[in-house]
Amino acid sequence: MSAGPDTSLAPPLAARSYRDQSPAVAERFARLKERPVILEVRELSKHFRDSTGADVLALDRINLSVHRRELVCVIGPSGCGKSTLARLIAGLDAPSSGDMLLDGKAIDGPGPDRGMVFQGYTLFPWLTVRRNIMFGPEVSRRLSSSLAEQEAQQWIDLVGLSRFADSYPHQLSGGMKQRVAIARALANRPRILIMDEPFGALDALTRAQMQAYLLQIWRNVDVTILFITHDLDEAVYLADRVLVLDACPGRVRELIEVPVPRPRTREQLGSPEAAATRQHLEELIHPPIQVPTEKLPLGRMTVVGDDVE
Amino acid sequence: MRQPWLRILGELPPRRRACLALVSFLGPLALWSIVSYVPFIWHPMIRVADAGDAAWFSTGELVEREAFADENARIRGEGGHLATGARANPVFLPPPHAVLRAMVTGFTAPPARPEEPWLHQALWHSITVIFWGFAVSSLIGVPLGILCGALPSVARLTEPFVEFFRYLPAPAFGALAVAVLGIHDAPKVAIIFVGTFFQEVLVIANSTRRIDPALLEAAQTLGASRRALLYRVIVPGIITDVFNDMRVLLGWAWTYLIVAELIGVSSGITFFINQQAKYRAYDKVFASIILIGLIGLATDVALAWLGRRLFPWLPSARARRRLWLFGTRRSAAPPEAPELKATVSA
Repeated sequence: MSAGPDTSLAPPLAARSYRDQSPAVAERFARLKERPVILEVRELSKHFRDSTGADVLALDRINLSVHRRELVCVIGPSGCGKSTLARLIAGLDAPSSGDMLLDGKAIDGPGPDRGMVFQGYTLFPWLTVRRNIMFGPEVSRRLSSSLAEQEAQQWIDLVGLSRFADSYPHQLSGGMKQRVAIARALANRPRILIMDEPFGALDALTRAQMQAYLLQIWRNVDVTILFITHDLDEAVYLADRVLVLDACPGRVRELIEVPVPRPRTREQLGSPEAAATRQHLEELIHPPIQVPTEKLPLGRMTVVGDDVE
Repeated sequence: MRQPWLRILGELPPRRRACLALVSFLGPLALWSIVSYVPFIWHPMIRVADAGDAAWFSTGELVEREAFADENARIRGEGGHLATGARANPVFLPPPHAVLRAMVTGFTAPPARPEEPWLHQALWHSITVIFWGFAVSSLIGVPLGILCGALPSVARLTEPFVEFFRYLPAPAFGALAVAVLGIHDAPKVAIIFVGTFFQEVLVIANSTRRIDPALLEAAQTLGASRRALLYRVIVPGIITDVFNDMRVLLGWAWTYLIVAELIGVSSGITFFINQQAKYRAYDKVFASIILIGLIGLATDVALAWLGRRLFPWLPSARARRRLWLFGTRRSAAPPEAPELKATVSA
């Protein structure tokens, strides 16, 4: 099922390809693949009926296996069905055909075993940070209120919001809100955390912070992550493997193993293996197109001599 | 930076807000005062001070200016004693100070006839009728509205009939209500119920439908059952809107009160107003009408204050938008708190 490269062939050479993996990285992937499969997606398809009544194929026979504590990014041009895939796995939409298995059990509707972080925060505005985080344990696991509160405090500390435990969401910045959303999803101890472009609405600096932050959380918490993004650097920085989707219909183009060693730092984004991976992703998602160079039929509308070249 | 007075949308500076609110009341009051106290603006009558040789004047009587002039012309022709008087407004437009005095004496002076209610008794009677009518309609209407908004099947089962019924004017049920419920307060409560209940169901159902669906999805991914979605997401998510809906609907209840109090044995503030009009005590009529407005305003301000206490999660600007009169600028929380340094205790 894995469309990844054959790691045994990795040649030690200077001309870097995204398929070249250092022995340590290759060994890491080998170990990763021995881990049990948490999420298995088989031949998953989804049809929509658009506003004109025409049938649209959003996802076409997607196959994917995610191993325990793996971080898989899903990337693709807009309209490739990335978010649809996330919603199907979360159980918010029903697939047209195909199977989705979590720990070998078929997914049917939303459930606390799959946490989700949305782009639009979706914190409950009437609950404090603490009560937002307690929401999941209270409604799903029937933790006693005091136990849920103890656990919530741990999650608040983990995402560094101790000072804001009793603040309401409208008092937090975007990055802080998203940290609460991550803590809220994790407080349910989900098997997999689905993140649908979670940092898309944040400014570049906050986004970089949040990415570093997510990696730290992921290392410290037993959770598998499926991360939807359209940001190539984000995918290269975060992912073990990157699932590249084609648009219209959404099909698996390639499943790429990111050869950048862990633990990762921002500086590694400049390394040859990261650059090679990024370039390959770029070619897959933005194929070189012929930019039209014909002159526009515009008359001159500026003063002679006032040129910007 | 100076803000233009006619800025589009946004927030006004607090002093300007207060200033404009004051002017909104002082303006009409000034107009009323001018018409009342400046004789050459209107004053179409003459209050007779000395009837003189006039055939049909009596001292203190209000006479139209033309009639007064005609009568004096006749007297002058006959060489008699001229009538005198000062320009005055008709009896139905009392000046502000008389209304203010009536407002005070309404509470201190006994009614004209011993069996009639005092002003405060009449008002209290009206308030109890409103309270019961609105309480009963809300006790049923709010839960039903929320259910309609949350469950399409309940909405389909309920709303077509409610939609039909709300076009039936509540006063049309007056005779029926008296026949069924007697002549005292019960039919009045029923009229207020009929007037507000059906609106309430529809308005609250619509507020419920406006809940952000992303919150419901988030709750579902956190494992919320349908029951938890209703009680822990929908109800708290719309409670502020429901609260504001009910503030608006309470205004409707006062509108229906005046009709309701005419049904059966006339009672409450409506009876009081009608009695005073019969005695031509229009200062008391004005005083009563203004008191109704003040009670409504005070209730609304109190509810807005209560709302801010009950719903501390509301950004203060949103809570204040409805509190248009006495809103004070509270120190708002910093909109963008500084980003914490990312540290994970591992």
